[in-house]
Amino acid sequence: MYRIRYHGRGGQGMKTASRILGTAFFLEGFEVQDAPRYGAERRGAPIFAYVRASRQPINERGIIRRPDLVVVADDTLVSIPAAGVLSGLKEWTILLISTTETPDVWKKRLNFAGQVLKLPEVAEVEDLLALRFVGSACTGAAARLVGVISRDSLEEAVREELTYLGEGVIQKNLDKALEAYDLMGDHAAAVREAGEIPADGYEKPEWVELPFEEARISAPAIHGAATSVEVKTGLWRTMRPVIDYGPCNRCWWVCSTFCPDSAISVDEQGTPHIDYEHCKGCMICVAQCPSHAIQTIPEHQAEIAGGQS
Amino acid sequence: MSETRFQRKKDLPSTHLLGTGTPMCAGCGGLEAIHQIYDILGEKTVFINAAGCMTMLSVYPFTPFRGSWLYTAMASAPAGAQGVRDGLDVLLHKQRIESEEDLQVVVLTGDGSAYGMGLSATSSAIERGLDFLYICYDNEGYGNTGQQYSAATPHGARTATSKGPGGFPGYKKDLFAIWAAHRPAYVATVVGAEPLDLARKIEKAKSLKGPRLIMALSPCPTGWHYDPGESVEIGKLAVRTGCWPLKEYVDGKVVHTKVPHQRLPVEEYLKRQGRFSHMFQPERNEVLLQEIQAKVDGYWEGVI
Amino acid sequence: MKRALLTGNKAAAWGARLANVDYVPAFPITPQTEIIETIANWIDQDEMDCRMVTLESEHSMLTAAGAAAATGVRVFSATSSQGLLYAMEMLYTVAGWRAPFVLVNVSRGLAAPITLGPDHNDVLAARDSGFLQIHCSTCQEVLDSTLIAYRLAEDERVRLPVIVNMDGFYLSFTREPVQIPDTKIVNQFVGEFDPENIRFSASAPVSQAVAVLGGTPYSYFRYETHLAALNGLAVYDKITEEFANTFGRRHDAVEAYRTEDAELVFVMMGSFATKAIDAVDGLREAGWAVGVLRPRLLRPFPADHFRRALAGKRGVAVIDQNLSMGKGGVLHTELASALYASTECSPVLVSFIGGLGGRDISLEEFYEMASVARKAIEEGCAPPPRLLYTREELREVRKLQAIANVEREELGQKK
Repeated sequence: MYRIRYHGRGGQGMKTASRILGTAFFLEGFEVQDAPRYGAERRGAPIFAYVRASRQPINERGIIRRPDLVVVADDTLVSIPAAGVLSGLKEWTILLISTTETPDVWKKRLNFAGQVLKLPEVAEVEDLLALRFVGSACTGAAARLVGVISRDSLEEAVREELTYLGEGVIQKNLDKALEAYDLMGDHAAAVREAGEIPADGYEKPEWVELPFEEARISAPAIHGAATSVEVKTGLWRTMRPVIDYGPCNRCWWVCSTFCPDSAISVDEQGTPHIDYEHCKGCMICVAQCPSHAIQTIPEHQAEIAGGQS
Repeated sequence: MSETRFQRKKDLPSTHLLGTGTPMCAGCGGLEAIHQIYDILGEKTVFINAAGCMTMLSVYPFTPFRGSWLYTAMASAPAGAQGVRDGLDVLLHKQRIESEEDLQVVVLTGDGSAYGMGLSATSSAIERGLDFLYICYDNEGYGNTGQQYSAATPHGARTATSKGPGGFPGYKKDLFAIWAAHRPAYVATVVGAEPLDLARKIEKAKSLKGPRLIMALSPCPTGWHYDPGESVEIGKLAVRTGCWPLKEYVDGKVVHTKVPHQRLPVEEYLKRQGRFSHMFQPERNEVLLQEIQAKVDGYWEGVI
Repeated sequence: MKRALLTGNKAAAWGARLANVDYVPAFPITPQTEIIETIANWIDQDEMDCRMVTLESEHSMLTAAGAAAATGVRVFSATSSQGLLYAMEMLYTVAGWRAPFVLVNVSRGLAAPITLGPDHNDVLAARDSGFLQIHCSTCQEVLDSTLIAYRLAEDERVRLPVIVNMDGFYLSFTREPVQIPDTKIVNQFVGEFDPENIRFSASAPVSQAVAVLGGTPYSYFRYETHLAALNGLAVYDKITEEFANTFGRRHDAVEAYRTEDAELVFVMMGSFATKAIDAVDGLREAGWAVGVLRPRLLRPFPADHFRRALAGKRGVAVIDQNLSMGKGGVLHTELASALYASTECSPVLVSFIGGLGGRDISLEEFYEMASVARKAIEEGCAPPPRLLYTREELREVRKLQAIANVEREELGQKK
């Protein structure tokens, strides 16, 4: 069985990408099971999707614990534990990343024994959520990597899954998918199907007896204030607002009032500060600042420039 | 007007109580309204929630509230508010808590519950004279489940369950009128894009006793299909085109707090949102646009 | 302490009054209305310092009950059948809040077709919800069980809401002698409500009943609720021991009548079990070795009590006043699972369904059930489940059907 796991952000088309691959396998005569899985079902938030493909009917279900291929449409997810990109990676797993860095950089960074491949020809893009075809490109590459999907099946799958879109958009997606498929030629069929876990040689689950705990502890209640600050929603961002304090004229704190997430605070001098750990990058502040003092820059540029304003 | 502490925009709060890190969509108009409202209501509150997008504000172990919160069910948040208010009253009456421990009871509900399933419980809570605040964040559809149409969906809007060429065939229920018919202590419409108007109304609501109901238009980038950065602009356009009247019901009368004198054509508001794009592409649907304009015109003729 | 003739409903109201409840959210439904009317009158006469509010539905009523309990006050409520089912979503919900309170259910048969007579399908529908269940057989038990229920619900090893169940009409509207215990002694027994940390107050912000995403944390919360419910067994035994010492009445988790040397045992719940007691006396006079076991606690299920009581017994006639469509009697199913694969305890179980919608079960029927069960013991296997229903009854229904299904031609209409 081929076990493939996609990682992306809500809005990057991971569900569709996984379905294109699923359909492609299906057209090749495989039994298929594919599904998306959401954490917070929000634009920008990490999501994943699974594809299982086998010559036999598939009984296995749920999360893929031991992926043969992990496809990462947004490399900023790798550093987010909640995104689970590295979960279950084995030496035989191939990691395909949409990234501007080289595979070696990732291998070293992740201390990963397996193979890392880069999605070919990813241009420097301003906003990663605007990279609407990344899903198709990822799937085109994945199709070549598994080696059992023909170019024709890939095309048919793209058309079938995107039939609800206009012809122009379908063609763009198709071009990206086929381009990635072709460029992956050197690594065709590199993905290996892992064997099954034997019944006489498995790692024993560590079952415990759940101890009774009084309702003081075991009621679903949060005894505290604003624990949500522990959630770094700043990681949803692909673009960030930056205040230019020149034109900023310390008005009546428009930006701070209009930020829905309370992520802009105002100090005693009336100077606004953006909390980048939590700013989701909605850009309401950019749109509403009366003196147009807030700019939008891509997140990865901000990281290069050293982060905070 | 002279009694309000919110005379000018600089009187608006500059520190914000609601915690960051909630899973609401970037640019959420509902969160916009709630974060402004929370600044004025303060921490001595207990929010009683009905199922909807905002249920996700508190997901174990994370909560953005500095006060308290109770999630109930979709249809019965006002009944939950009844139980909490009565419980606090009993504790105070029997002197089992000090008066400083008292809390304002606030229902937080989306339009899905407020306009539909929860209407019975709301009506009864008002009829019983429950002393509570009721905040409906209205994103004009069942948002948390993927924006299917609700009784709050405006005529012609495309939703997950109204994708035909004319969009939603129904008309938005006039919930303001239904609430006002109960003669509660206070009803008001607000929108986060007009923070001064909102602040004054919340302050007024806070000062009164009895059932006080607030309807907050909540522009929804995910459900209405526009870029998150435009949420406030779209809220402003809702007001300036007259699509979202800002008004209050108090002392038996309906008073408009903002009358847009040079009303923009409704299409200025509609064309910014993907959920109305079928009215403009591939051709303009003049019939539908004129129908909507006529309805809005008719409303304001009745006001001025 | 005075002894008076009280209906089951009045006894329930007395239970609430003696327990010094703070809050009674209400909604009227036959056959419960006398409970809330009684409490309303006491409040109006200043005999109870308690707030009562009529909600607009039972779903809202249960929400208000749980919310008030979660705020930190002692809550009482009551309902029946359709109302209990209308509240079903909230039964599961408020149990999960770990907000303790007492709900009296006046058992009544479920629609459709809608009816007013009692059986146990309503309360049994709630058995998975997390509410504990105490089933009463007399009006005295209704009062006593309400007091016991507050101790049980509020015990720190439990902290779950409790249903006290009584049969509609046969208990709710029937007067029996009831000892009304002394207020002071009851106050000492029940004590004050301690909300622990499930409460609302300005100085201790808390987000209650929050969403939980992910099977791992969700399983934790659900299983802890189950463990708390299971604790109810030991806690109930302790409380009823104390109750017996204080008030002189014993309410064991499973009541046993003349079972010590019995070969054959009737097992049933609720008020009709007193009829079984009479039948046992009659059978004993005729030389039978027979007894009655009546579970008071249904949740948590008193499996050990049953296994001990039925050890060595040869046959059990389980009489279910309920019916799980497509399966059969619920008590039978639950008992069978508790006794399965026990070596000391493997009587043949015979299933009888009776009393649906308040249908009577006659003394002769008890005798006949004993006969059937004895035959099953001798043959070593049980016959198929039997609905207690006579030829006469079927004739009666046929007559009704003839009226209801009158041929259209007879009425002058074309077919």
